[in-house]
Amino acid sequence: MSAARLRAMRDMTPRSWLRPAAWAVAALALAVYAFAFADSYVLRVLTLTGCYAILVMGYQFVFGHLGALSLAQGTFFGVGAYTAALLGLKAGTPYLLNIAAAIVVTVALAALIAVPVRRLKSHYFALATLGIAEVVLIGARNWVDLTGGGDGLSGVPGMALFGVSVPRGWGEFAVVWGAAGLLALLARRLQRGLPMRVHVLAREDPIAAAAAGIDTDRLRFNAFLWSAAYGAVAGALAVPVVRVISPEVVEFKVMVACLAMTVVGGRTAIAGAFIGALLLYPLPEWFRFLEDHYLIAYGAVLLAAVVLAPDGLAGLLGRLLPKSPVRPTVPDPPDDISLAPASTSVDLAIETVGKRFGGLTALADVSLRVAPGEIVGLIGPNGAGKTTLANIVTGQYAADAGQVSLGGLALTGLAAFRIARAGIARTFQTPALAPGLSALDNVATACATPGRGGPEARLARAYDRAIAAMAETGVLDHAHVDVGALPHAVRRRVELARALALRPRFIILDEPAAGLTAEEIEGLAATLRGLARTGIGFLIIDHDMGFLMPLANRLACLHEGRLIAEGPSDAVSNDPAVVEAYLGPDFHVTGAG
Amino acid sequence: MELGQLLLNALVLGASYALVALGFVLVLNATAAVNFAHGELVMAGGMLAVALATVLPLGDVVPGLLVLPLVLVVMAGAGLLFSLVAYFPLRRGPPVSVFISTIAVGIMLQHAVKAAMGPAERAAPPLLAGPQLDLAGLIVSRQALATLAVAALLIGGTALLLRRTQFGRRLRASAQDPEMARAVGVPVRAMIASSFALGTALAGAAGLLFANSYFVSPESGGNLMIKAYIAVVIGGWGSVPGALAGALLIALFEVGVAAWLSSPVAEAALYGALLLTLVLRPQGLFGEPVGRRV
Repeated sequence: MSAARLRAMRDMTPRSWLRPAAWAVAALALAVYAFAFADSYVLRVLTLTGCYAILVMGYQFVFGHLGALSLAQGTFFGVGAYTAALLGLKAGTPYLLNIAAAIVVTVALAALIAVPVRRLKSHYFALATLGIAEVVLIGARNWVDLTGGGDGLSGVPGMALFGVSVPRGWGEFAVVWGAAGLLALLARRLQRGLPMRVHVLAREDPIAAAAAGIDTDRLRFNAFLWSAAYGAVAGALAVPVVRVISPEVVEFKVMVACLAMTVVGGRTAIAGAFIGALLLYPLPEWFRFLEDHYLIAYGAVLLAAVVLAPDGLAGLLGRLLPKSPVRPTVPDPPDDISLAPASTSVDLAIETVGKRFGGLTALADVSLRVAPGEIVGLIGPNGAGKTTLANIVTGQYAADAGQVSLGGLALTGLAAFRIARAGIARTFQTPALAPGLSALDNVATACATPGRGGPEARLARAYDRAIAAMAETGVLDHAHVDVGALPHAVRRRVELARALALRPRFIILDEPAAGLTAEEIEGLAATLRGLARTGIGFLIIDHDMGFLMPLANRLACLHEGRLIAEGPSDAVSNDPAVVEAYLGPDFHVTGAG
Repeated sequence: MELGQLLLNALVLGASYALVALGFVLVLNATAAVNFAHGELVMAGGMLAVALATVLPLGDVVPGLLVLPLVLVVMAGAGLLFSLVAYFPLRRGPPVSVFISTIAVGIMLQHAVKAAMGPAERAAPPLLAGPQLDLAGLIVSRQALATLAVAALLIGGTALLLRRTQFGRRLRASAQDPEMARAVGVPVRAMIASSFALGTALAGAAGLLFANSYFVSPESGGNLMIKAYIAVVIGGWGSVPGALAGALLIALFEVGVAAWLSSPVAEAALYGALLLTLVLRPQGLFGEPVGRRV
């Protein structure tokens, strides 16, 4: 990509100086307060607050960005704390080595957990992680030889860096907040650009994400490990400040505190981690008159936040300090990007596919081929199995019998995202787009961009391909509009652009004409014809015969899970079985263009 | 004979767990959301029974059976209030919001009870006072028998309510398909609120049984919620008979392993068994595999 082109891409999302300035002022204020006004007790509270900010940043990876309710984040904090403390106490190893060991142990534990549980859906994931938290707590209380049991162990050595011990008070404060700053930069680097956009889709609509070629399992796995690493660092930094290690660090209240800080501060904004920690960690100090009952106030704050400010305080602040408005201009589509399939030599072959749901036969012995550049219409009454067939081809369902293949590549049994990457894209009956993202960002989610360069260069490459796809489907004018604000017909075309951005060999469209006006349908047909000429094959499910008859090269009709007719459009529409099962005796195509 | 005694203990514990799980799964089905405060509601029911037993002007020792109706009524009202605070404001939001709001209310409940009644473990008077019975060498307390009878009555009554009454049919209809239920004129909001009332009343009853047979402290809630959660997962998500069977299974497992090894080992082993279940049979031990709608 040329430097000018890269600059044009960056110009679409200009950065404002307001936010960096706000960060600088906040950091300065905290430092001045800590060094000039805070006594040793307040310094200690602030230092531990920094540890919680790191814990929350870690939690944002898995809970905020990917929406997976892990209840093991408090446990990661505790395991990190125990590892660092026990090494310091029993082996006397250097502090930095203890931190490294804490990370290794905690991440290994997370990986061990994640392999079996990462596929679990939300409620199961929450319970599984909660179960692990309970097992660790039981271990900490009962493995007395190692942990000292319920009373814990005291005399944990203080911080020391390269043999020099860190002064208590301001020294520890500087180390912890320095680490928090560095880890914030790392988190930003890991999330900004394309990943942040991909995460929204993976979180809001995992099925659509898989159809866009996104490996949501791997994203969750990686996020879970990052959350563990941050949790371990937080625990390993906190324990030499407290100097005591006891099962308290793996109790559920650490998890509750972390969850509350994340929800109150903000689930995805890094600033939210700091805001949540600074507000809630010192809460017991602020509500000292409530004595031990401050946790009632804690619960109330959490409840108020989840009801009144779902984006947290960072979300409210973000509205006061907006990113600079996006420039309304969009660069011209690139001329060096082709969306035509790389090769147009293999058919999409569906062979004797069968599927049952309990006692219900959804599909039986269905065979169908689509050639490159061909448009095949799939018709049939409601409940005939059309969408089920689409779901089997794209890997949302597993077939009970038969197979689907692309040339020599068997697709049956592959994960949905792999089928998408192999060249089969799809759209859904109701357009499945990520709310809150612009049309351009939605399309860009399908443009995985391996290769060199920082987040900005990668996002620019993704935008380049997205712009090309949006130009093809005629929605480039809407590039910067939030998809929630787009009319239905445009949303369909944005979804089609996302499918196209995968550079697929075949696209499966599920009722693309539903809800469109006659004019919009005609435009859609013209777009699809043009795309077919580039070599993309289409399998189109629809009820609108006026749309399908002139468009499709062939028609296939499903009835009660079986293919009852297949062939040239005229032959199928006059087939007595099709007329009987679906079209009805009065069927005539009128106004066919 | 020792085996018989163990089985009886497991059955009594299982009956109490089953009541906890029943209330949990009713709310789960009505809202498609996990009520994380369910254990705290059970605990609150137990504490309410403890408090009522000392307040009611019925003599020195009030039998738990007389307290039960009051607990049911008060907790049903508490359930309505709970739904207004923790569920209805977030009904249109993602399920994870309800998760968090119920965690929040659970914390508030736990610490409010602690503030009101102190952190200590408390016990309520037994359901029926009287000496233990000796049935062919099996030592059976009247309390154990009464616990089994009360749990069986409440579970049977709930089953009849759900299966045989118009109210129960409407409740199940709005749980299965709220859109369709609304379309045929079922007041879905009222049905959800009723599910909270019913589920919380059952939680209260369970709390009373626990407070009679064992002890309750403000901290007992979390553990009870997890037991109900596990029962629902191993019984098959959303299945009422599955949840009851799951609860019995958990009790058998706990009592058995605790007798064989030790209580901490039993608890750790329970979580181990849960994780194995999740990995090998995510649809639950008795459930049918469920597909996700696309």
